[in-house]
Amino acid sequence: MAIIEVKKLSKTFKVKLKEKGLIGSLKAIIKPKYKKVEAVKNISFEIEKGEVVAFIGPNGAGKSTTIKMMTSILYPDKGSINIMGLDPTKDRKKLAYQIGTVFGQKEQLWTHLTPYDNFKFFGAIYDINPSVIEKKIDEFRELFELDEFINTPVRNLSLGQRIRCEIVASLIHEPKILFLDEPTIGLDPVVKENIRTLIKRMNKEYKTTIFLTSHDVSDIEKLCKRVIIINNGQVVLDDSMENLKYHYLNKKLVDAKMKEKINLDDEEGITILKDKGYNLKLEVDITKRSVADAIKLLDPDKIIDINISNVPLEDIISNIYKNKE
Amino acid sequence: MKKYLFIAKSQIMSNMQYITNIFGGFIGFTLILIILFNLYQYLYSDPNELINGYSMHQMIWYVIITELLWSILGGSKMSKKIANDVKSGNITYNINKPYSYVGYCLASNIGDLFLKFIFYTIFGMVLGIFFVGHFPNLNIISALIVIVISFLALVISILFITSIGLVSFFIEDASPLYWLYSKFILVLGTIFPIEFFPVFMQKILIFSPIYVVSYGPARLFVNFNYVDAINIFCAQVIYIFACYALCSFIYGKGVKRINVNGG
Repeated sequence: MAIIEVKKLSKTFKVKLKEKGLIGSLKAIIKPKYKKVEAVKNISFEIEKGEVVAFIGPNGAGKSTTIKMMTSILYPDKGSINIMGLDPTKDRKKLAYQIGTVFGQKEQLWTHLTPYDNFKFFGAIYDINPSVIEKKIDEFRELFELDEFINTPVRNLSLGQRIRCEIVASLIHEPKILFLDEPTIGLDPVVKENIRTLIKRMNKEYKTTIFLTSHDVSDIEKLCKRVIIINNGQVVLDDSMENLKYHYLNKKLVDAKMKEKINLDDEEGITILKDKGYNLKLEVDITKRSVADAIKLLDPDKIIDINISNVPLEDIISNIYKNKE
Repeated sequence: MKKYLFIAKSQIMSNMQYITNIFGGFIGFTLILIILFNLYQYLYSDPNELINGYSMHQMIWYVIITELLWSILGGSKMSKKIANDVKSGNITYNINKPYSYVGYCLASNIGDLFLKFIFYTIFGMVLGIFFVGHFPNLNIISALIVIVISFLALVISILFITSIGLVSFFIEDASPLYWLYSKFILVLGTIFPIEFFPVFMQKILIFSPIYVVSYGPARLFVNFNYVDAINIFCAQVIYIFACYALCSFIYGKGVKRINVNGG
């Protein structure tokens, strides 16, 4: 049975318009004008218990609006959301006990308190017995490797350390579902990898359902088995990561370094992406032509070095965004 | 209830990290009192003279209490915090937690002014002794009652300012409303007791928030009697329930309109 059910969800915002300059500012005071922005249009999906789902899309696609409706921060205009049998618009408090949220660009920790005091605070607001909170803190201290800074005020922590603490604060009440809105934003590659490992471990050890938005394709590739792509407020793709790669990874990139210059033109199934004389980059549509055809076209005797790779997932996703616009 | 005590406790612990800020505020507080002390010296040719039932010493203690209540409150910061949370989108983390947002605002603001309440009260009493030379006629019980009523006055002020802050859900910037409220309290409820105003205004002011947030506690401190104490206490309890209901109403309406910036 689905743990999250979203049906025909829509949300429209009223945005104030202002013409340029001082006169525009005055006009906006005297006679304000508004435009309606349809942030989310009639979207539906279901998520099963224990799934790790990437909910992605370009900026302004409606990701955060959807997450905020699911976490009872925003009220939908139309449609319904059912999370473990609860309606976020009516059962806000009950739902709070079942879910955890991390918004990478916002802070929920008390900056002048230490992570330890913060965790005690979050435990108390979720009505957890003090002895149980202590046990949970010990558990997370080990799991998330917090020993080094658990007694340092949050304001003195690095961004990576703070995000780790933000995640722990969201997990202290053992939520069944964790909503992560760009949790790795602004982090360096090592810390990102660290956070991903922790998210994976959390899903494995606590069977926490994870709903993740991120612009970082590595987050999606390494964590999620299912991808929902949203653009212009609509779901444009809802598929497994495996299918996404299978259906969309039908192009190969061939980078070749040549002994001598050769002149090539686009052919059916083979596109010249870059031609710098001795260095060539071709894209091969393997549904139409084979990689061997491309190599033959280059003349194998003239090749010094060659590299054959898949089109990066990032490009695939960008193409899906563009094609559905 | 336990979680709200924890919210207040966490706020106190947080404020302890920059406790010296409180002492900085003593400078402004002292300057205002020096100015008012000189004003009352000018008004009272004889310190034993009574103007509208108040001696000069009573007037100085009166203004010390009303100024204390206003300085401890720090209402401008309180009102701006909600507006900033709405504008920046930080409100998101406060409205999906298992507590009442109004209760959270009340508890965190009580925690916020708890240390100020202690330090400012001590400082204000020392300053009063310096200016006047002696305390008003209070025994331990009446002093405790005045402390409780002063605390309730602050609770009502917090709720008033929270209700103003919550208007940010509708108009984004509620600072003009706060400005009006602060000037109302400052002009009509801080410098002079209600008895100094024309009779028709006195009748209005006695039913206004000034009675419960500034005049009441200060009046009790300079001229304590149990009948006034009971009247003020009852009025404060009514105000607390009414203001809490008002905040909950505004929040309930406003939260449905919230438009978190950046998605």
